[in-house]
Amino acid sequence: MRSERYIPYVLILPSVLFLLFLFAWPLVEALLLSVRGGDGRWTLEHFQRMASDLYFKDAVRYTVLLTVVMVPLQVVLALCMAMLLGGINRGRDLFLYVWTIPLGISDLAAGIAWLAIFTERGYLNSFLQAVGVIQEPRLWLSYETPAMLFLAVVAAEVWRATAIVFVILVAGLQLIPKEYGEAAEVFGATPWRRFWRVTLPLLMPSLQVALILRTILALEVFAVVVALGGRNLPVLAGEAYFWYNAYQSPGVAAAYSVLILGISVVATLVYLRLMRPKQEAAA
Amino acid sequence: MAGIRVENIIKLFGKVRALNGVSLEVRDQEFVVLLGPSGCGKTTLLRIIAGLEHADTGRVFIGERDVTALPPRSRRIAMVFQNYAVFPHLTVFENIAFGLRMQKASPERVRAQVDRAATLMHIEGLLGRYPAQLSGGQRQRVAVARALAVEPEVLLMDEPLSNLDALLRLEMRAELKRLLAESRTTTLYVTHDQVEAMSLADRIAVMSTGNVVQYDVPMKIYQEPADTFVGGFIGSPPMNFLRLPVEGSQAKIQTLALDLPAAPQGREVLLGVRPEDLEAHPQPQPQSFPAEVLVVEPLGPHLLLTLAYEGQHLKVTVPPDFETRPGQTLWLRPQPGRLRWHDPGSGEALGHAR
Repeated sequence: MRSERYIPYVLILPSVLFLLFLFAWPLVEALLLSVRGGDGRWTLEHFQRMASDLYFKDAVRYTVLLTVVMVPLQVVLALCMAMLLGGINRGRDLFLYVWTIPLGISDLAAGIAWLAIFTERGYLNSFLQAVGVIQEPRLWLSYETPAMLFLAVVAAEVWRATAIVFVILVAGLQLIPKEYGEAAEVFGATPWRRFWRVTLPLLMPSLQVALILRTILALEVFAVVVALGGRNLPVLAGEAYFWYNAYQSPGVAAAYSVLILGISVVATLVYLRLMRPKQEAAA
Repeated sequence: MAGIRVENIIKLFGKVRALNGVSLEVRDQEFVVLLGPSGCGKTTLLRIIAGLEHADTGRVFIGERDVTALPPRSRRIAMVFQNYAVFPHLTVFENIAFGLRMQKASPERVRAQVDRAATLMHIEGLLGRYPAQLSGGQRQRVAVARALAVEPEVLLMDEPLSNLDALLRLEMRAELKRLLAESRTTTLYVTHDQVEAMSLADRIAVMSTGNVVQYDVPMKIYQEPADTFVGGFIGSPPMNFLRLPVEGSQAKIQTLALDLPAAPQGREVLLGVRPEDLEAHPQPQPQSFPAEVLVVEPLGPHLLLTLAYEGQHLKVTVPPDFETRPGQTLWLRPQPGRLRWHDPGSGEALGHAR
């Protein structure tokens, strides 16, 4: 049965081709695009143009700031939700489904939904006027109110993307055998110490996955930001889009993409390093 | 040190009655085994005593304290779990120290207690390792050491040896017996393995469908089972039960008449007799009855025979050099004083063996 040895390879071949064609090839193309001039010579001019652009510093700053604010918020919130869900018996599925509804909504749709809240004639202004806090509609999302714009993006992103962290953590919690919690209980741990000394360390692999996934996606944040603020809140993925579309400059757009990739890779390596399982650390 | 007392515990899982009003007392320093087939409620009872489950009615006392409403951490117990539940993210040292750390014991006390427990379990060389680097038997030792390190009033063990291979189980069994005899910790131990129960226990509580059906010292349980369930569950092979006709105050096996301790209700009675309490002879003997050999199984220390008497099957053990073959008729002589009589309806014993 010699031929059977090749069957696994044949079976994974379509997906490998698919990945090579749609991911690896564009990746290589983008890399080449970012380091090649119009005449085909190697050059750093795209990166220099990117770095000297007026929006560049703000884009880097806001992207990193958004990631640093959003990701911990989402993880803490999702962890609380997952732990609460663990304490529910009746109606557990109902909570699970309701809390994961945002998973089914595209990020642009989510951005537009939140735009309907924060826009000049939106729900927030109508509500504030109705209860008499303000007399005239206020502008929340203009370039003059970057803090409010930033908070609106954080709110929309937290609402939209906490669910994926939640799902990962719920699955992770279910993987922890309940005997560990019971052993901790029997040996005198209060619920609080049980969480810190047993549950959280055992949840580390799931937390790592959730953090890496969310950080990478947060560094690519785009549709929600564009829907809420256009270019008033510049972010890296948005700049790549504007350079490609508005400025017709694929080289600089590719440079932005490569920058996002670089930051993502570094962030992932940092997580892998910091959250190494203890057993491996000892070995 | 303290005893355990449970009173009238009832536990329902949905509509299933897992425990049916169980009362049990474990004396201070006693080693009691809860023995029964799976689903009999023994683990549920243990978990209720630990506080990991709550009884629908009934009370649990540890020493003089009513702990019914207390969470596990306030009960001053330790437990060894079936799958060990040794924390994978902590070293062996920290695993054993876990209970002491939760009590906020001083570093000196933690160090001293961990060393003592590790030495008792012969794992003092493994303290720096993580559980992933240990064998199943070593993890088992860590789990026991963790329980001993807190010097609990009461030690609860839930099938602690069932995940070990046969050889290791035998070794750990003897070691546990020595260890707990030395430490004299009150211990309640759950198992479905009757050999384990016999070998370890001061007393055995045999459970069946949510009730304790017999609670006594191992040899009494073995020789004088309270009913046919206990007789059939304890012993390998189990006790034989022969349905016999009653004439007056005697039961008849062909020409052999055996005195009954009490008159049974009906016209029939069950004779309970252990395989080793029937003496087999190739020739007719006084005080014996004939049975036909169906199967001969050489098991090493003895031969296990399956025989038929009037359509009822019997297991008998004979010395390994006993010559016999299927189809042969043997004469079986019951050992006087080792016979149990049971009511065929309820299965309950009629009284003491004669």
